[in-house]
Amino acid sequence: MASGSKDRADSLRLGFLTAVELQDGGFVGGLLVTDRFGRPLEFQCTTPVRANRTQELLYGPTLVPFIVGELIGKALTDRITIKPTLLLSDGPEMLTLREHIDAPVLCLAGSDRAAAISTPTPGLDADGSTTGSKVTLGRVEFQTHAEFPEDAATAQQLAQPIDGKADLSEPIERVAEALKETMATVGGKPKVA
Amino acid sequence: MRHPEFGTHHVESDSSADIPHSALRTPHSDAPSPAIVTQTISLTPRIDIHASGANVALNRWPNIECSEIEASIRVGTIPSWKPGWGRVRTVMLTFPEAIQFLPPKEDADNGELQTIRPPKPKRDPEDGEGGSERKKPTRLKPPSDALSLEDRLFYILQPPLETTLAGQELIMPFEPFPHQYEGIGWLFSQKHALLADEMGLGKTMQTITAVRLLLRSGQVRKVLFVCPKPLIPNWQREFRTWAEELPIVTVEGNTERRRMIWSMPGVPILMTNYEVLSRDLSEMHEDDRPSFDLVVLDEAQRIKNRDSKTAEVARDITRKRSWALTGTPIENRPEEMASLFEFMEVVPPNATPDLKQLSRLADVYVLRRVKELVMKDMPPRLDRDEFLEMTPAQNSAYRIAEKEGIVQLNEMGDQISVANVFELVLRLKQITNFDPLTGESAKLDRLVADMEEIASSGGKAILFSQWTKVLDWMKPALEPFGPLIYHGGVPTKKREPILKQFKEDPTKHILLMSYGTGAVGLNLQFAGYVFLFDRWWNPAVEDQAINRAHRIGQKDTVIVTRFISKDTIEERIDAVLRHKRAIFESVLGPGDKTNVSLSLDAAEIFGLFDLKAPAGKGSRLKKVAPKIPPESEQDAA
Repeated sequence: MASGSKDRADSLRLGFLTAVELQDGGFVGGLLVTDRFGRPLEFQCTTPVRANRTQELLYGPTLVPFIVGELIGKALTDRITIKPTLLLSDGPEMLTLREHIDAPVLCLAGSDRAAAISTPTPGLDADGSTTGSKVTLGRVEFQTHAEFPEDAATAQQLAQPIDGKADLSEPIERVAEALKETMATVGGKPKVA
Repeated sequence: MRHPEFGTHHVESDSSADIPHSALRTPHSDAPSPAIVTQTISLTPRIDIHASGANVALNRWPNIECSEIEASIRVGTIPSWKPGWGRVRTVMLTFPEAIQFLPPKEDADNGELQTIRPPKPKRDPEDGEGGSERKKPTRLKPPSDALSLEDRLFYILQPPLETTLAGQELIMPFEPFPHQYEGIGWLFSQKHALLADEMGLGKTMQTITAVRLLLRSGQVRKVLFVCPKPLIPNWQREFRTWAEELPIVTVEGNTERRRMIWSMPGVPILMTNYEVLSRDLSEMHEDDRPSFDLVVLDEAQRIKNRDSKTAEVARDITRKRSWALTGTPIENRPEEMASLFEFMEVVPPNATPDLKQLSRLADVYVLRRVKELVMKDMPPRLDRDEFLEMTPAQNSAYRIAEKEGIVQLNEMGDQISVANVFELVLRLKQITNFDPLTGESAKLDRLVADMEEIASSGGKAILFSQWTKVLDWMKPALEPFGPLIYHGGVPTKKREPILKQFKEDPTKHILLMSYGTGAVGLNLQFAGYVFLFDRWWNPAVEDQAINRAHRIGQKDTVIVTRFISKDTIEERIDAVLRHKRAIFESVLGPGDKTNVSLSLDAAEIFGLFDLKAPAGKGSRLKKVAPKIPPESEQDAA
C-alpha cells in the first residue's frame, strides 16, 4: 500500500448509525465511529426522544424520519468528536440526515424496514423500492438518498481500503445491542418487532 | 290614511301559509316570480301618525344604499402551536487508545513472504456458495461483574472475534475452533478467570490470543506469565506461533540480571517460573516489587496449597487481572479450588467456601470444556491394551521376587507399612519391563516389532515410562528407529532442540519420554502413536501423556498402546483402576474423568497382594500413589 493511500485508509472513519424504537413510544439513537477494521473509537447515544400527541398528529407519517433522521441523527453527528467520513445505517428513515450534513449517508439496501416502510421517505418510493443509487461496500449493498445519487461513487471511493469480505452491517447490530443494553440499564424497553 | 309599507326583505320559502295576506303586498308585487316564492317580511316600525301636518316626509320612500362592510370579529387560534422540539441529549463513550503493533507485512506480492491467512471454513456442500460465511459471529459479552454501563458497552461494541482475527490486523496461523473463539472471548472480558479446559483443547493458544487482544485494545500494558520451568520453552514457542509480534522477556540469569529485568520498563510480557517468582519477589522490598495489569498462572494447581510460599507470593503481586490455567482444577479435593479463587481475588483471604459456594463461583469464574464434548470432529483415539506374556527369564525372576516379597511382608506383621508394599510393587513392575539379569523383555520385543511397521510407513511414536533408566536401557535396541530421549536427566537447554529434531528429522521415529517431564504442556500432535511402556498409578496422568499427541492439530487417528504383562501386578492394578474409573463415570458421567483422582489408596495397595491393611496404617481416603515426581526425582523410587 502506497503511503498516500495508507494515510487515506488510516484516516477513514466509519460511522454506524441506528435508532431503536421503545415500547412506550419514542426512539433512542446511537452512533459508533470505528476505524476501517471496525475497531470502536467513539460511541454516542441519545436519551429517549418522544413525540407528544399533537406532534404525532401533525407530523403524521413524516414523524419517524424527522425524529430519527433530523433530530437524533443530527444531534449525534453534531456532538461526536471523531467525525465520520462515511455514515452507514440500517433504516431508510435515517437518510433524511443527509440533507443536513456534508458526509455521505447510506442505508442498507433491501432491508426489511425498507420494504415495509409506507411513509414518504427520502430515497424510497411508496412501495419501498429505492430511487437512490445502490453501491456495494465490503460485501453489503447500500443505497443513497434519492437526491444525492453521487454519494454512491463517493462512498465507494472512501471504502476502498475496506476488505471486500467485510460485513459492514455487523457494526450496526453492535450499536443496536448497545442501545438495548443502555435501555435495559435505565429501565426502558425496546419495542419487540 | 294609508301609506305603502316599506323596508321589505326577501326570503326564499316554499310556503306562505302563515303569512298574513296584507304582508304579501310589495311595490313590485306584479312582477313574475316563476321559480321563487317571495315572502315579504315587514321591517316597518310601527308609526303612529298624528294630524299635525308635520309628517309629510314620512310619505317619501326611504333612501336605502348597500355597501360592503368588514366583519369586526377576528377568529382566534387558541392554542397556537409551533414545531418546537427540545434539545436532544446525548451520552458519550470513548475507547482507550490501543497499542500500535508493527503493521502486517506488505510484501505478499513479491513471492517470498506470504501473509498467512486463516483457512476458509469448510463449506457444507448443501449450503452452496457463501453459505457458511454467515456463521454466527462470536461476540464479546460483558463479564457478570461489570456493573457500570460504560464497562458493559465497551465489550458490546467490540467487533466479533472472527472479524478481529480474520487476517485484517492480527495474523493467525490457524483458524481457531469454535470453542476456542468462545474461550478467547470469555478470557478477554474476565478480570478473574480460571480456564480449566481439559488438556489438548488449546488453553495456551486461547490465553495468548486473549492477551494479544487485550494488549492491542489497550486494556493491558504489562503482563506476567508464570509457569513451571520446563514449560517456558513451550510457551515461548507458542507465542512465536500465535503472536509473533509480541516481545517476550524471560526472567532468567543471575540475581542482578533478574532484578534488572523485573524493573525494566516498556516490556509488555514477562515470563518466569514459579521458583524464580517465589525467590525474587519475596526478596524484594515491598516498594520495589513490580506491578502488572495481568498475571497468568499456568499449571495453577501449583498454588493449590494456599499456605505455600509460592501461593502467598502469587497472591501478593500487585495486579488488575488474575487468570489461572489448569487442566485439573481439582486433583484431590474440591477445596483446592478455594486457593485458586483466593489468588483470583473472588473470595476473601482464608475464606473456606462450601461446595455450594464453590459451585456458584465456578459458574461465574471457571470455564471448563472437555474434549469429548467440544471436539466431536477431532480424529479418534484408539486404545489398545496389549496383554503380553513375559519371557521365561522374566517370568522366573518375577515369580521368585513376588514370592519372597510376600513372605517378607508377612513376616513384618504389624510393622508392615504402605511403603513396604509399595516397594515390592515397584520391584515387580520393573521386572515386568525387563529381566534384570538377562535383559529379556517381552514388551521391548513387541515394541520393536511395532516400530518396524511404524517407521516403514514414516510414522512417529512417543513412548512413556515411569523410569528414566528404562528409557536409557531400551535406547540401543531402538537405534534403527532413531530414538531420541527426553527426560529429567536432559539439560533444559537441550530439550527444545530434541523436540525440534523429532518433529523435523524424518529418520527420528520414536521419542522416549518420562511421565514427569513429557506428560505436561508439550505439543506433539505430529506423532500418531503413543506407547505406555509401563503404567502410571493414575489414569489421569496417563491421559495427560497421551494428550501430547492426541490434541488439536492432530490430523490422524492416534493409536495408544498400553503394555500390560499378563498374570502380574500390572494386570491387577489395571483391573482395580478400570473398576474405579467405571464407578466414577457412572456417577460423574463420561465427559469429565480427569477431574477425579483415581490413584490407589492404601487398602487397595495392600489388596494387590491379598494383604489386609493394618489399622492405622492407611486410611481409605489417603492416596499413596506418588504424584508426578519432579524430574530430578524420577529414579528415586
